[in-house]
Amino acid sequence: MKIEIYDPPMCCSSGLCGPALDPVLVKVNDALMALKRQGVQVERYNLAQQTREFMSNVIVAELLQKSGKKILPVTLVNGEVFRTGGYPAYEEMCDALGIKPSALNIGLRMGN
Amino acid sequence: MTRYVFFSGKGGVGKTTMASATAIHYAMESKKTLIVTTDPASNLADVFEQEIGHKITPIKGMDNLRAMEIEPDAATREYKERIIGPFREIMPEDVIASLEENLSGPCTTEMASFDRFIDFMEGDEYDVIVFDTAPTGHTIRLLELPVDWSKHIEESAKGTGQTCLGPVQTIQDSKEKYDRATAVLKDPERTNFIFVMRPEALSLYETIRASRELKTIGIDSGEIVINGILPENVCEIDFFRKKYESQQKVINEAKNAIKKPARKMLLRDNEIKGIGALKDVADELFGGKRTAGFSKSELQACFDLVIDMPDVQRLWLPKRGTKALFFTGKGGVGKTTISCIASVYASQKGFKTLLVTTDPAAHIGEVLDVKVSSEPVQVMENLHAVIVDQEAAFREYKEKVLNDARGKYSDDMVAAMEEELNSPCTEEMAAFDKFIQFIEGRDYDVVVFDTAPTGHTLRLLDLPFDYAKQVEMMVSGDELKEAAQNRFREIINILRDRERTVFNLVLYPESTPILESYRAMLDLKDAGIETRLVVANMILPDGVAVNDFFRNRRAMQMKHLKEIRDRFHLPVMGFPLLDVEPRGLDVLRQSLLLIG
Repeated sequence: MKIEIYDPPMCCSSGLCGPALDPVLVKVNDALMALKRQGVQVERYNLAQQTREFMSNVIVAELLQKSGKKILPVTLVNGEVFRTGGYPAYEEMCDALGIKPSALNIGLRMGN
Repeated sequence: MTRYVFFSGKGGVGKTTMASATAIHYAMESKKTLIVTTDPASNLADVFEQEIGHKITPIKGMDNLRAMEIEPDAATREYKERIIGPFREIMPEDVIASLEENLSGPCTTEMASFDRFIDFMEGDEYDVIVFDTAPTGHTIRLLELPVDWSKHIEESAKGTGQTCLGPVQTIQDSKEKYDRATAVLKDPERTNFIFVMRPEALSLYETIRASRELKTIGIDSGEIVINGILPENVCEIDFFRKKYESQQKVINEAKNAIKKPARKMLLRDNEIKGIGALKDVADELFGGKRTAGFSKSELQACFDLVIDMPDVQRLWLPKRGTKALFFTGKGGVGKTTISCIASVYASQKGFKTLLVTTDPAAHIGEVLDVKVSSEPVQVMENLHAVIVDQEAAFREYKEKVLNDARGKYSDDMVAAMEEELNSPCTEEMAAFDKFIQFIEGRDYDVVVFDTAPTGHTLRLLDLPFDYAKQVEMMVSGDELKEAAQNRFREIINILRDRERTVFNLVLYPESTPILESYRAMLDLKDAGIETRLVVANMILPDGVAVNDFFRNRRAMQMKHLKEIRDRFHLPVMGFPLLDVEPRGLDVLRQSLLLIG
């Protein structure tokens, strides 16, 4: 089980180091950490920092060359394109991987 | 093996002169020598009277001496190209453009200059490399960075693998290089730190601070040079005799407070420029040869330049709303004194005034004679003072973010956030955030900023521009994006509004401060900010130039005042050299008479 996220260029994908907190990115991070706890292999690449990775993945490189950076972020589930141009929610990623969302994480989300 | 000599000290203490004389000394001993400046406002070229620039340049008339001025802009360009270059052919244009955009923040600039500076610590082409480094606070930051960076890289590799210092791969590739640099910096056999100071209380304070800061990162060696000591034989009148005595007191204190070898250098009555003059300084620095009291040949007709007192009331006092007054200039020009006087002036006129210092080596508390902290304290009626402490602001900012996150996210997530927040970028951000709150707020009629040395100030002031750009890249909803963007746009508007913000340059009439202030003015202009006033401080009063030494010095000042007038095309406020270092509110109140 593997999730790969190719982020648009940014200072840091945590959403913490910009001039204002970016809650969407914090949420994505939270979801990815939950998935990791559930045994999913998670890889994340930032165009501004790991540019090489965008070139070495044929699918991502092609998408980028065809559509430019507006195609980002790109999410791959088990090596196949799952979502482009936006981040999938935690539950969607669980669905695609065929695992149950962790109750703990849902609970936290609802209290949000 | 190459030996490295670093010069540290507040601007205007004669650091470049001492570094240049040291480089000449080694070159004359047939050692292959390079002098490098990392100061963005370097005047190495003026001292050597030849063009140098961002490349290794042989010094005319010296066999073994080369020099280079690291220009932050050029270093940043080179650094960026090293990262982006490989992708130019393969990536679509918009991707390249945003990569470039992304690498335009203050972190990249700092990183790039440092990277360049470390490059010199790798080779063995030279016997001696002399670094004429940037002013104290900045120097320390530069020197601390390798330690922070390698820590940051390690932590990032453990954590989410992200760092805001540019492409993590590039940093990872360089980590060994940074560690090697740190090891060399900490090896007293190979590296010497020389602190240059003036025999003044504030300068001593700075030097003690600087040497302590280095000690905390494991560097405890070094020497001091006390520069600009009044020759006893020219201080026959009371005005200078008092100054001479207070200098001697500071010299003794320095010897007790800093347990390092100290060299003493006399004040000269002429400007030190060119190889000949530098050799003479090297003789005094290394051979202890004292120069004559004064240079008769240089004596010129002393003329008085009459400058009209500018309309401070119109410049400094608000018509409506809050007015922000910025005092910028090199450390050691008396920026703190002038901003304290401006604050007392505004408060005496009945305006509720806040004095803010962003200088990491702030001494406002010493001038005002009150304990200043990160919360505004009352100094007198209508006057409050506060210090923006970068570390405290950083802790506060981190705590705020983490408090918001607790309960919203898992413990793992909060822990990861905490780690992520420990970056130099967040630190800079947090200080900036604090700093602008005082501009945004409407609690005071006048807010006076005793800003940090020029380069740092400009970086701080550049931030809103960078941030406004960065915000455009935020992923989260439009509402949030808009709010953040509006805030930064508003700050930019305030800084550019003549009625709400007044930028004042403080300098003393000597070539280094003039040059640096002029560059600062141009930088501000690039950012769409107009400078409104030049304060020329420490002018020798007419009546005290009673011998050739001081007549020469006064003539030198007048020449420079004329240069200031012709170069800046701005109102100039002349402020006299006072017979005592201003301390306490009474002295400040009396000083108001001098500005009309």
